[in-house]
Amino acid sequence: MVTLKIDGKIIQAREGTMVLEAARQMNINIPAICHHEAVEPWGGCRLCLVEITHDDWGGWSGLVTSCLYPVEEGLIVTTASPKVIETRKTIIDLLLARYPGSPRIQELAREYGIEKTSYVPDVGRDNCILCGLCVRLCAGMGMAAISTAGRGAAKEISTPLQEAPEDCIGCGVCHKNCPTMNIPMQDKNGVRTIWNRKFELIRCSACGKAHITREHAEYLCEHQDLPPEYFETCDQCKRLENADRFAAIVKW
Amino acid sequence: MSPKIDLKPAEKILECYPRDMTSLIQVLQDLQLTYNYLPREVLKRVSAALSVPLSKVYSVATFYKAFSLTPKGKKVIRVCTGTACHIRGANLLMDELERQLKIMAGETTSDMKYSLESVNCVGACAMAPVIMVDETYYSNVQPDRVKKMLDGKQ
Amino acid sequence: MKRCKTPADLKKWSTGLDRQRKKTKTRILVCSGPGCLARGSRKIAGAFQKELAARKLDSKVVHKLTETGCHGLCQQGPLVTIMPEHIFYVQVKPKDVPEIIQQTIMKGQVIERLLHTDPGKKEKFQDYRKIPFYARQVRVALRNVGLIDPNDIEEYIAVGGYQALAKVLTGMKPEKVIDMVARSGLRGKGGGGFPTAKKWKSGRDAPGEQTYIICNGDEGDPGAFMDRAIMEGDPHSVIEGMIIGAYAVGSSQGYVYVRQEYPLAVKNMQQAINDARKAGFLGDRIFGTPFCFDIRVSRGGGAFVCGESSALMRSVEGNVGEPRAKYVHSVKRGLFDQPTILNNVETWNNVPYIVSEGPERLASMGTKKSKGTKAFCLVGKVRNTGLIEIPMGTTLREIIYEIGDGIIRDRPFKGVQTGGPSGGVVPNSLLDLPVDFEALTRAGSMMGSGGMIVMDDRTCMVDVAKYFLHFLMEESCGKCVPCREGLKQLHNIVDGITRGNAGNGDLEKIENLSRSIMEGSLCALGKSAPNPVLSTLQYFRPEYETHIEKKKCPAGVCKALITYLINDKCTGCTLCVKACAFDAIVGKKKKMHKILEDKCTRCGACFAVCKFDAIEID
Repeated sequence: MVTLKIDGKIIQAREGTMVLEAARQMNINIPAICHHEAVEPWGGCRLCLVEITHDDWGGWSGLVTSCLYPVEEGLIVTTASPKVIETRKTIIDLLLARYPGSPRIQELAREYGIEKTSYVPDVGRDNCILCGLCVRLCAGMGMAAISTAGRGAAKEISTPLQEAPEDCIGCGVCHKNCPTMNIPMQDKNGVRTIWNRKFELIRCSACGKAHITREHAEYLCEHQDLPPEYFETCDQCKRLENADRFAAIVKW
Repeated sequence: MSPKIDLKPAEKILECYPRDMTSLIQVLQDLQLTYNYLPREVLKRVSAALSVPLSKVYSVATFYKAFSLTPKGKKVIRVCTGTACHIRGANLLMDELERQLKIMAGETTSDMKYSLESVNCVGACAMAPVIMVDETYYSNVQPDRVKKMLDGKQ
Repeated sequence: MKRCKTPADLKKWSTGLDRQRKKTKTRILVCSGPGCLARGSRKIAGAFQKELAARKLDSKVVHKLTETGCHGLCQQGPLVTIMPEHIFYVQVKPKDVPEIIQQTIMKGQVIERLLHTDPGKKEKFQDYRKIPFYARQVRVALRNVGLIDPNDIEEYIAVGGYQALAKVLTGMKPEKVIDMVARSGLRGKGGGGFPTAKKWKSGRDAPGEQTYIICNGDEGDPGAFMDRAIMEGDPHSVIEGMIIGAYAVGSSQGYVYVRQEYPLAVKNMQQAINDARKAGFLGDRIFGTPFCFDIRVSRGGGAFVCGESSALMRSVEGNVGEPRAKYVHSVKRGLFDQPTILNNVETWNNVPYIVSEGPERLASMGTKKSKGTKAFCLVGKVRNTGLIEIPMGTTLREIIYEIGDGIIRDRPFKGVQTGGPSGGVVPNSLLDLPVDFEALTRAGSMMGSGGMIVMDDRTCMVDVAKYFLHFLMEESCGKCVPCREGLKQLHNIVDGITRGNAGNGDLEKIENLSRSIMEGSLCALGKSAPNPVLSTLQYFRPEYETHIEKKKCPAGVCKALITYLINDKCTGCTLCVKACAFDAIVGKKKKMHKILEDKCTRCGACFAVCKFDAIEID
């Protein structure tokens, strides 16, 4: 265990914990758009910057991304120092210029007292904030169906060769986790449409709900060693089945 | 309908490298030189051969300046835009070339004769500003010489 | 090719080569550095080959024809040096070759018209070592560049090559090697200036399955070609340095990362590695010891950001060049997540020198905190552009005026840019600054990899700032917001100033945004990106203010803020009328011409052709 100070409060955290997690344990809210517990921290949005110093550092202090900085014995963290706030505000201002239409960014901007961007706004581009979550989650799932393309300000999220991605299994993880809802997904009449691909959805044999794509089901059965009929019922119905079975055993 | 791509040269190149991700950039370099660009079919073959997801191959192919996904022109004109060339007027040369060829830097003429690129420092700073047409260097180029240089090449 | 199983084998090989060299009467060194290559050095070497053969003269031993790396004085290329007299011929053409053979090689006579002339004193120099450009240099990293055939391992061995390696492997413990490097005071020559021995020690102590060493040959700073000259001109010095370093840190696998734009460097490094392997200096049981080490060449894909060490490592792994945060150092977790020591080409090249000459030699040169020498590319508006190496502590004045021989056409010196896109401009008032790591950083610039661009009064500092911002904007990897979006907006503001579209409070905006980019960016590219604009703002603020308030560009560069005029020196020769592609100049023969302002695009074509100084830029 390691002892450190965050915003004046002393806390203990397990070695290997990142400062962001440690702060969240103390209910200190540090914004972090590109962060997700299911994948490795990335350090791209830079919103989670905090100011750190240490008694042994001879007065030196600096800004680091708390999502990637591991806790250290004797670390002194300030999550909202003037330097942090100034830098964070600039980042939000820049994001607002890039994606003026994004509700999530507008909300963040309001929190930091920014009405509109002080920079030249981009016109005619979508709401992708390049947090990279969709790509990282897809790779984490094992599909890696999408990726970034290009670099610099022209960087964007793309399907390979800008064609419908063959490796996509229609799991929808990218759509569900996009902070700006920029990845469209439509489920209609038992068909899911995402990234210009159409997937047949399996209907639950109990309630009839179209709940998972055939490809996603096959993938999970293979990787988690499940019987092929496992996804014939949806999660909700499976829970009800298990509850009945349990009740039968216990004989309430 | 674009012509079918011969994958034999690609197979030959792939044979020279270990079949994993560390070879990706080196393989793409050799393919770019051989095919003059990176055709879709070739990228798909690389993905299968090196066991690298196609999305990753595409990401790398679009990140690095060495690679182009569209064919380059017969002659590649490179304007050095290193600092020494810049302060000796390289941007005026680029403007003039863009005007004469009617394309922007990074593009290829519709008749596929010329590709125009900027390059950072070819090491011939004593001759700034420098233009390369394929392997030939032109030194101390001034805007009035651009037309003559292109005419000489046409 | 011999195979050396022991140091004694190497000694025997070297002695044998010495004997052979005694048979050589003259060595004809044809410089094939980047500048001379561009000016046709291959044709000159071909002409020598042909002429020597025609006269039945032996070009392999007696009159050894050698194509070398960069000799240094690129401004005067193509260069040919005749040894042992060090006779130095400049601006040589293929048609001069028969005369050189006839007069100099056969009769020992010097051809006056081919000698370098000092423009100031009109003095002709026969021996290049006496030319101020060379006399003031101390060539450590460049000790062999320009003097040997880089593609012949025997030439490297003949000058003592691989003896340092033999000494280390058979007589020194790894810790002693690190200690030796520490005593030399060697600091990284790629820009960071990190103490090399300290990095090696951390790498040696870091736990891991495999320690890697990497040579960073991604020299991306525009205007810098020192590393290219070393890789092309003396590749074995880098290899020998890497093998010694690998032994010191406990590595068995190394990589040389060469940028994609240097195909000749890739070729020469690869050949040198192949030859070193055949000779037994790479591979298993080197010099009969248990030490094994090999090197692979990894080509870059064309991305400046891959000069940053963590991005470089991603690139070697086959990924896009996106840097990682440095909270866990790459000496502990770098390439393939293993301990990795990364050093610049010039740093590795210094290592065999430290071993063979002793660390005190390097430590005796330079300043208190910056020992040894540094290679630079002196380019821009200076008379003698070329590749130089000077002891740390040499002043900018000495470099620009004595080695560089001053500004072209004696125009006023305005500033010198160092450190590439991460650096700044050092102005006239700091001309007596001694060049070392700390002094340059204190002046708002940095050492960088060695590019030194001299600027005169016709260089616009706002334009220079815009140039570097544009460069970095294109080279940004795009991963983090401050760099990706911030540089774009910063460029927007500075570009606006050069177009006469400055907004209220733009200078303050530049300073604030710069601060956030420096604090918030993930890697050194972003963090140092505002340096050029902040440095030019610090020393040339009035120039910015003139652009903003008066909408004028005093240096005559920013197109939107200048007007081309014809003055009364015009003789009516109509050259400019013909040169203008926009029909913007009117004038009949022998009558004064006039530029039509509304048609003029400021392309500069007329200015370039006018022989009478009749075109002015206001």
